[in-house]
Amino acid sequence: MELLTLTAQFEWILGKSNYWASTVLLLIGLHAMISKNNLIKKLIGMSIFQTGIILFYVSAGAKHGAQIPIVHYGHDSHESHDKAAHAAEHAADAGQQVAEAAAPAANHAADATHTLGETLYANPLPHVLMLTAIVVGVATLGLALAMVQKVYAAYGSIEEDEVLDAIADSTADSTADNTVDSTVDRTVKGTPEA
Amino acid sequence: MIWQLDLILLIFLVITALISLRVRDLLGASMVFGIYSFLICLLWAGMGAVDVAFTEAAVGAGVSTVILVATVYHTRRVTGGHKRASGMKLLSLLLMLVLGGVLLHASGDFPALGDPTSPANNHPVAQYYIEGSYQDTKVPNLVTSVLADYRGYDTLFETVVVFVAGIGILAVIGVPTARMRREEVCGDTAQFGEDSDLIILQTCRLVVPVLQLFALYVIAHGHHSPGGGFQGGVLFGASYILLALSGGLREALRRLSESMSFRLAACGIVIYAGFGLLCMALGSSFLDYAILDSILPGGVAKARSHSMLIVEAGVGFTVTTILFVIYANLATRGKLEGGL
Repeated sequence: MELLTLTAQFEWILGKSNYWASTVLLLIGLHAMISKNNLIKKLIGMSIFQTGIILFYVSAGAKHGAQIPIVHYGHDSHESHDKAAHAAEHAADAGQQVAEAAAPAANHAADATHTLGETLYANPLPHVLMLTAIVVGVATLGLALAMVQKVYAAYGSIEEDEVLDAIADSTADSTADNTVDSTVDRTVKGTPEA
Repeated sequence: MIWQLDLILLIFLVITALISLRVRDLLGASMVFGIYSFLICLLWAGMGAVDVAFTEAAVGAGVSTVILVATVYHTRRVTGGHKRASGMKLLSLLLMLVLGGVLLHASGDFPALGDPTSPANNHPVAQYYIEGSYQDTKVPNLVTSVLADYRGYDTLFETVVVFVAGIGILAVIGVPTARMRREEVCGDTAQFGEDSDLIILQTCRLVVPVLQLFALYVIAHGHHSPGGGFQGGVLFGASYILLALSGGLREALRRLSESMSFRLAACGIVIYAGFGLLCMALGSSFLDYAILDSILPGGVAKARSHSMLIVEAGVGFTVTTILFVIYANLATRGKLEGGL
């Protein structure tokens, strides 16, 4: 009895482990984006955040004992499906017009036996959504890195506080000519808070 | 799904994520992030998401790492300690506690991992893709048929996003004057990889053609195996990046110049969108390939299959060239000369 509940608990934990891991990765990424001082670290955090979300979606589409979402055609499909395929092939040999006539029949035969019912396939929909997200992710990462290089060229640093100081200095310099010192102090002090 | 492997990978994932964010050396952080990507790609392959894993292996563990290293090379390698007070850190931790609590609490209501009867897996649309798409399109790889046919709009605009990112990089760090100078410099022909290591050079000379051939195979065979326009495009782009890394960027640009890259990238989108417009011209809706059986051989299902191949090729053009443009610009700070 004791053992049984332990196993049940263990299975419950296993059933949640991927969701927990995706939550942890999401939090690590978001925390890095907010609190890291270095811009490249922020971008690594962004990428980790992104993979956390992708992990969540892929986990939602996973099935125990499922095949990868590529149909086994011609190997372990049912007999009638094979027959239908044969019929279609023969028809194709016989000529274009006959093929057109036979094609709907072949399709119908395959439909009737429901060839895909026996094998369990993983859910392809989350895979499609996440696949494009990864490629767009690298494009946005490239654009963000370009901005980092631009920031470095302009301010000589990729640390957030140093960049903010440099921005404050440059604004202070431009206003220093015709303002009193107190304004400058306020600008320098005020910017890191913002 | 093997739960032991799953658990070990999840633990290592969290550890590598933490390490890549803790390390002071940014080059090291980039490399650890590459390992992280590779681990997560194993995890996805274990869950049956082979196409996603393939893409991540090429993108995350390959191209992402290279462009991160390129940026570290041109900025600063070591990140300093935190000079500023950790007020932001405290606020962030508080936010993480709240958000983490809410998410972990919500995870109690999720269906167990791998449950075939969960709402996401039992949704009629997902069911239809599994049961009907092979009859509809005769494409065994369900991911390809959903990507290029049923959700063609989605993929078209994702491709446009990649193209726009390429333009954005040009706008952000492209240096027009240096580019003009480069055109003049290109006149004198430098020896291929004259300042490169002999072993690296010879290895890459052997690898690049095979890699390009494999990339074309991945695009062409995406109907029957994991792969398609995105994965093949990333691999093809990676072959040019490899060429630039081994033999110098100038050599790679001589084979695929930047202006040519953008022309080909635009071509890819024109192929994709033009095919959609062709469907409209024949009297159906945008990207409804079924109507094309009047001009493509083999019946309605085969027409959809062939159309997918063509739009995947368009995706391949755009992804290949834009990835190379991203690398070329990041590796040279937009000047397109010198390089890593």
